[in-house]
Amino acid sequence: MSDEMKSQDSDADSDYDQSDHMDDDDDYCGYYDNDTDDLDIDKPKKSDDPEYFDYELLQIEDVERFLNEEVEVLCSSQKILPSLAKMLLHAHDWKKEYVIECHSKNPSKLLIDSKVIPKVKFQQPISGPSLVCCVCLNQVSREMLHDLSCGHMFCGECWDAYCQVQIQQGVTLGISCMAKDCEVMVPEDFLYSVLSKPDLRDRYSQFSFTEYVKSHPALRFCPGPNCPIIVKAKEAKAKKITCNTCKSCFCFKCGIEYHAPTDCDVIKKWLTKCADDSETANYISANTKDCPKCHVCIEKNGGCNHMQCSKCKYDFCWMCLGDWKAHGSEYYECSRYKENPNIANESVHAQAREALKKYLFYFERWENHAKSLKLEEQTLEKITSRIQEKVMNSTGTWIDWQYLLDAAYLLKKCRYTLQYTYPYAYYMEKCARKQLFEYQQAQLEAEVENLSWKVERAEITDRGDLENQMDIAEKRRLTLLKDFLDY
Amino acid sequence: MAATRRLQKELGDIRKAGPACFRDINVDDTNILQWQGLILPTSDYYKHGAFKIQIDFPAEYPFKPPKITFKTKIYHPNIDEKGQVCLPIISAENWKPATKTDQVIQALVALVNEPEPEHPLRADLAEEFSKDKKKFQKNAVEFTKKFGEKRPPE
Repeated sequence: MSDEMKSQDSDADSDYDQSDHMDDDDDYCGYYDNDTDDLDIDKPKKSDDPEYFDYELLQIEDVERFLNEEVEVLCSSQKILPSLAKMLLHAHDWKKEYVIECHSKNPSKLLIDSKVIPKVKFQQPISGPSLVCCVCLNQVSREMLHDLSCGHMFCGECWDAYCQVQIQQGVTLGISCMAKDCEVMVPEDFLYSVLSKPDLRDRYSQFSFTEYVKSHPALRFCPGPNCPIIVKAKEAKAKKITCNTCKSCFCFKCGIEYHAPTDCDVIKKWLTKCADDSETANYISANTKDCPKCHVCIEKNGGCNHMQCSKCKYDFCWMCLGDWKAHGSEYYECSRYKENPNIANESVHAQAREALKKYLFYFERWENHAKSLKLEEQTLEKITSRIQEKVMNSTGTWIDWQYLLDAAYLLKKCRYTLQYTYPYAYYMEKCARKQLFEYQQAQLEAEVENLSWKVERAEITDRGDLENQMDIAEKRRLTLLKDFLDY
Repeated sequence: MAATRRLQKELGDIRKAGPACFRDINVDDTNILQWQGLILPTSDYYKHGAFKIQIDFPAEYPFKPPKITFKTKIYHPNIDEKGQVCLPIISAENWKPATKTDQVIQALVALVNEPEPEHPLRADLAEEFSKDKKKFQKNAVEFTKKFGEKRPPE
C-alpha cells in the first residue's frame, strides 16, 4: 500500500472506535465490543473480522433461568419430570435436540445409557415386614427402606449419611446407588427427599449448578478470581471474551488467556514448556559435560576448548573429551576423533543444543513482547496524565487528544497478537506456509516497533503520521489473523 | 457409631465363615477400626508364604472406604515398598458402602495371585512380569521365602 492511500484512509480511521475507550479506560481487550459500524467505514465488518465473536455475559440468575428453560423444553416435549430431564441433559452435554430425539424413539435405551435405570432390575427377596439394610446391617421395617430405579433397598439413615459424605467430598451429579457394581445415579429429587441437613442442600444446589455450567458447551465461567460472570456463546470456539466485570480477557474454548493466532492445544503445550524445568535440563545438556576423569559436571563458560577440571585439574579437550596433551598445538585436528564413542555422545549434545537454540529464539521474542506490553501499560498511564494536564491548561479538549490514547490502545493490541505468534511459529512444521507466516509476522513486528516508537514520541509526532502508522499496524495484524486464525 | 456396629457384625461373620485365604485376624478390643491378618495367596508366585496386612477403617465407614497396607514385604508390581496397594474396589471414586470387607479381601487376594501390570505401582516389576515371567516367578518365590510369613496350618 502506498503512502498516499494510507493518508486517505486516515481520516476515517481517526474516529476509530472512540466511544469504546471513554468508559473503558484500562481495557484494550474490549476493542470490538460495541457497535460502531456507523462511525467508521474502513473498520472490518463483523462478517470478515477474524476475531469477531457473538457472546453474552450473564449473571448466575440469568444462567439458572436459561438452564431451567432448557429443562422445561425437554419436560414439556417428553412429559417427564424436571429431575429426570436434568439427568438426561447432563449425561448428554445438554444436547437437547439429541435427547428429545432419542427419548422419542427408544426411551428405555436412553434411560439405561444415561444410568437412570439399570439394565436389569434387582428383585429384593421380601420375607416379612422388615429387612436388613445392607449398609448398616440393621433390621429395618419395610417403610423405612428406599430404593432407586434399580431396586437396591437401603434405610433412609444410610442414604442420608451417604449423600452427606458425597456432597462434603464435592460429588453431586456423580452420586450413584450404594450397591456394589450398581451404576444407577441418584436423581436430584430423591437426594432432597433423603438429605436431612439444609446447609448441605444449598451446597448440593451450588455444586450441581457449577457442574451443569462446566458440562454445558455454550457456557463458561469467567476465569477471573471470584468473578461471578458466566459467558454464553452459540459455538464453542477459541475466540476472545472480555469480561465486563473483572476485565479478564480469555479464550472461550479453553478459558486461559486469549492466544490468537495460536490454538488452544498449542498454547497449552507452549506454556507448559515455558514453565517446565526440562528446559533447564536441556541447558545443562547443551552447555555442560562431565569431566572424563572425575565425572564432576563442568559448564563451558568461555570460547576455548582447552578445559581444565577445577576439581581434579585434568586437562582435556571439550570437543572430544580426550587428554589435552595428545592434541599438542593443533587441537583443530580433533575432528579426526569422530569415530570416538565420545563423539557419539557429542551428537546427542549437539541435538540438545540445537533444540535449545530454537526454543530460546522463540522464547526470547515471546518474553520480550510480554515485557514490552508491561512497559506500554506505563506509557498509557503517562499519556492519560499528560492529556489531563493539557485539558486542565486549556490546550485542547479530551476529544482533541483522544487519538493519542487510541494509538496506545492499538499498540497494546497489536503487540499482544504479535506475542502470541511466537508459540504458533515454534510448533509449525517447516513448509511454505511457515515462510508466509514468518513473513507476515516480520511485517507486523516492524510496524509494531514503528508504532511503538511513534507512540513514545506521540507529542512530537505529527497526528496524521501517527494515525497512518496505526492503520498500517492494525491492517498487518488483521491480515495475519485472517490467514492463520481458523474461523 | 455406625462404623462400630457394622464392623462388629462383619468381623463376627468373617471369623465364623470368612474366606480361607484370610486367617489369623487380630483386632484390638479398644479399636475396632484397625484389623490385622494374614492373607494366603495360592498362585505359584506366592504360595510358599503368607503376608500380613493391616486394614484401617475410617470413622465414616462404610460411607468412606477402608485402607489396606502390607506389613510383610512382597515382590509384586501392584504393591510398593511401603506396602501400599492399588485396589480399585476401595478407591474413593469406586467405593460403594454396600461392599463388604470379605469382598474387599477376595479382590485383594485375586490381585496378589495374578498381578495386573497395566496399572503398576512398581514399573520395574511390571516390566519384568510382562517380559520375562520365568525370571519374575523365580524372583517372587525367592523373595517370598526370604521375607514371607509362615503359613498357618490348614
